[in-house]
Amino acid sequence: MPQRLPQRLLHALFFIAASALSTGAGAQFHLKTSAAAGSSTVATPHVQAELVAQAPDGVGPGKPLWLGLSITHQPDWHTYWKNPGDSGLPTQLEWTLPPGMDAGEVAWPVPRKIPIGNLANYGYEGTVLLPVPVTVSPAFQAGPLAKEVTVQLQASWLVCRKECIPEEGTFTLQLPIQGTTALHAAAFAAAEQAHPRPLAAPATDEGSSAHVEGNALAVKVTGLPPALHGQTLEVFAETTGVVETAADVVQQWQGDTWVARLPLSPQRSASPDPMPVVLAHGGQGWRVALPVASGWPQVAAPATVSPALEAALRANAADAAGAPAPAPVPAGLWLAALGGALLGGLLLNLMPCVFPVLAIKVVGFARHAQDRRAHRIGGLAYTAGVVLSFLLLGAGMLALRAAGEAVGWGFQLQSPAVVAGLAALFTVIGLNLGGVFEFGRMLPSSLASLQARHPVADAFLTGVLAVAVASPCTAPFMGASLGLTATLPGAQALSIFAALGLGLALPYLLASWLPGFARALPRPGAWMETLRRAMAFPMFATVVWLVWVLGQQSGIDGAAVLLALLVVLSMAVWALTLRGRGRAVLAPLSIAACAWLVWTWGPKITEIQAEQAQPAIASGAWQPWQPDLPGQLLAQGQPVFVDYTAAWCVTCQYNKQTTLAGTDVLRDFAAKNVALLRADWTRRDPAITAALAQLGRSGVPVYVLHAPGRAPVVFSEILGAQELRAAIANL
Amino acid sequence: MPTLCRRSLIATAALLAFATGASAQTAAVGQLAPAFTLQDTAGKTVRLSDFKGKYVVLEWTNPGCPFVRKHYDSGNMPATQKAAREQGWVWLAINSTEKASGDYLAPPQLAAWLGERKAQPTAVLMDEDGATGHAYGARTTPHMYIVNPQGVLVYAGGIDSIPSARGADIEKATNYVKAALADVAGGKPIAAATTQAYGCTIKYKPS
Repeated sequence: MPQRLPQRLLHALFFIAASALSTGAGAQFHLKTSAAAGSSTVATPHVQAELVAQAPDGVGPGKPLWLGLSITHQPDWHTYWKNPGDSGLPTQLEWTLPPGMDAGEVAWPVPRKIPIGNLANYGYEGTVLLPVPVTVSPAFQAGPLAKEVTVQLQASWLVCRKECIPEEGTFTLQLPIQGTTALHAAAFAAAEQAHPRPLAAPATDEGSSAHVEGNALAVKVTGLPPALHGQTLEVFAETTGVVETAADVVQQWQGDTWVARLPLSPQRSASPDPMPVVLAHGGQGWRVALPVASGWPQVAAPATVSPALEAALRANAADAAGAPAPAPVPAGLWLAALGGALLGGLLLNLMPCVFPVLAIKVVGFARHAQDRRAHRIGGLAYTAGVVLSFLLLGAGMLALRAAGEAVGWGFQLQSPAVVAGLAALFTVIGLNLGGVFEFGRMLPSSLASLQARHPVADAFLTGVLAVAVASPCTAPFMGASLGLTATLPGAQALSIFAALGLGLALPYLLASWLPGFARALPRPGAWMETLRRAMAFPMFATVVWLVWVLGQQSGIDGAAVLLALLVVLSMAVWALTLRGRGRAVLAPLSIAACAWLVWTWGPKITEIQAEQAQPAIASGAWQPWQPDLPGQLLAQGQPVFVDYTAAWCVTCQYNKQTTLAGTDVLRDFAAKNVALLRADWTRRDPAITAALAQLGRSGVPVYVLHAPGRAPVVFSEILGAQELRAAIANL
Repeated sequence: MPTLCRRSLIATAALLAFATGASAQTAAVGQLAPAFTLQDTAGKTVRLSDFKGKYVVLEWTNPGCPFVRKHYDSGNMPATQKAAREQGWVWLAINSTEKASGDYLAPPQLAAWLGERKAQPTAVLMDEDGATGHAYGARTTPHMYIVNPQGVLVYAGGIDSIPSARGADIEKATNYVKAALADVAGGKPIAAATTQAYGCTIKYKPS
């Protein structure tokens, strides 16, 4: 063994010398001919670029061959990676090769982040080699006498310091077919070393993944080499226009898993799935294609008001002004919206889901019917309560909007916790109305009498309650007005909410000031107590509806837990009305049971059910709506009708059971081959929110008929069969 | 009436209103376009709100950038401006190049450069401190935005679909602003609402 080692060394030395000789010969040969057939180098004031090759075994079928463009930058200048970042262009290579030779993709070495102010680029400074693997197939025939083969490259690159210069060059290189070409072997080896290695993703669920979390992409990468553990990694997204190039990446190691949050660009222009990312450290890189779990949210759709709606708004403006308004001046539009909001508020009094509140109002009314002065003050206080609550809701919605949340009017009911809370609340109200308990007994007597002694505060709070109960029932008539608030400055938007509240309070206010209006009301008497008891039933009916809504969101388990909770809650309320030992034993017991239920089973209620139970199942002629579906169907020439609905929207359910279930209507739809799509907004769905915004609406119901080449028709919220059939007949 | 319930409702409403705070954010498609007040090259004050009720195209420009020159020297940008103006749209060219940059052109020179190329913007606005550029998240020259009559940003991205500095590519590329003009004229929403802007980095004043 010891003797063999020198022998091997000798062999190796001989081989190296031989290859050096032959490369030298090749290089000389190349130098000799390059003058005649073009150059392998291009020099500009900013870069020195050279076409180089690596063919250790000569050029022939199956033999390894690499070509590459070597760019040496002047100090401070740079060229770009495949994703150039916030600006710039990747260097482009176009090859002209003999038949049988095929150039692959550029094997980009790991780039470097080049910050410019608060923007950043990915690129290269100093000297970089962009290698390209070339496959030589048996189709390659150089001819019996050929000694070399000619390759040509047309390259274009953008070289920048602060200013940018687009440059290009044509390169020609002769490669010896038989000899070795390895003059730039070291550079090719270094480039290969710097090329990101694919990361073998483990096949289990524990593998690398990404998911969108608000304005960031939460990333988890497993299977990185142990040497990297604990190190801070550089991150390069391969797709342009997805992440904020300049932003710092928050990252940490959790055991051998690397987790990070990549801030997304607010003007994201691509949704790659999987999302290719290069992680780098110390000049080496690892490439991983991250599956985007639960997909990308739809890139915010353009919130344009449909032409039909715009025309309607203009018509409203003309009506409200009482004279033909010439152009849609902003003030005119605003007045129209105010008028619409006032009208919507008035109609809100008649909507089915405001009914329980109307009942409360009637009870409150009868109480003050004999005292004119108290009556008027009560009316004003109620109005103040309603308007202030609407302003509060409006301010909340504006704040949520500003925070970029995909919210709509009625969004409260998309959260299971809010639905459950409301169900509990209505149960307690129902128990109170039904006479199970009086508040005087539960509250300290001072508080109870405080309420009695301050009818003004009482009226104010009744107004607040009216708003709280009315708001979930989307005030559909002001869909357009509300859509408009998105585009209005804060003060104007809030004035629209105030008008909405005023409309809701107006009947009560009128009744309190105009004796004629008030006189029409029945006198107080024993019937009041009967009425109060009777009012318990609409309350319990509301609870039934809320439990049904929750069932849509959290499934049968969530609904069952809620019902159990309501039973225990009712028991607790009842126990508190008892006296003596019964109360001492039962009250703490039932309250404890209540707390235990919330603590252990509460999550069942709030957990949103998995996809499979989504109510968007095709039923009958209806198909579930998808963001691109209407466009695709329209492109095929098929008219499309979309029903934007939600389980918690009473008007939607009413229309669904009546007009939309009508055999005449369905027959008309079938006759015109209209595709029927149902967009279910029961749970928060950004794609549907965006589609609604596109129609200038922020709540449901919305009914739209799209026909190829025509403006979409938006129908009124209480959908009439005649209106619908007339529109279908027009197709 | 149940005071207890009312109290909790008030608390809930208050929570809803204040649980989420507003945060300053870069412009995004589908949201209100940031307001701005800038001087044009003649020193006149121009506000975005002056044009409420009309579509407004915002074009970030810098004659020192080869990508901007590609679209002006070829006549592509002026032709796009002309098409937009003919459809009743407003076109505001905005220059966010800082005064210290070698690319900076004083207002008269900038107006002259554009005039020589038969540019037809409604106004050319100076944003030397870069505040408006930052508010829109403008990164490159050119970088294009479209604001709808309601003041909502409906397009953000490039002038066309082929990122290159070669004039020859203009013919092969899809001009996104012209596509938006056609979409709006046809009563349709803008199909390509966010695209990749390409060009030179804007020479912002260091912050």
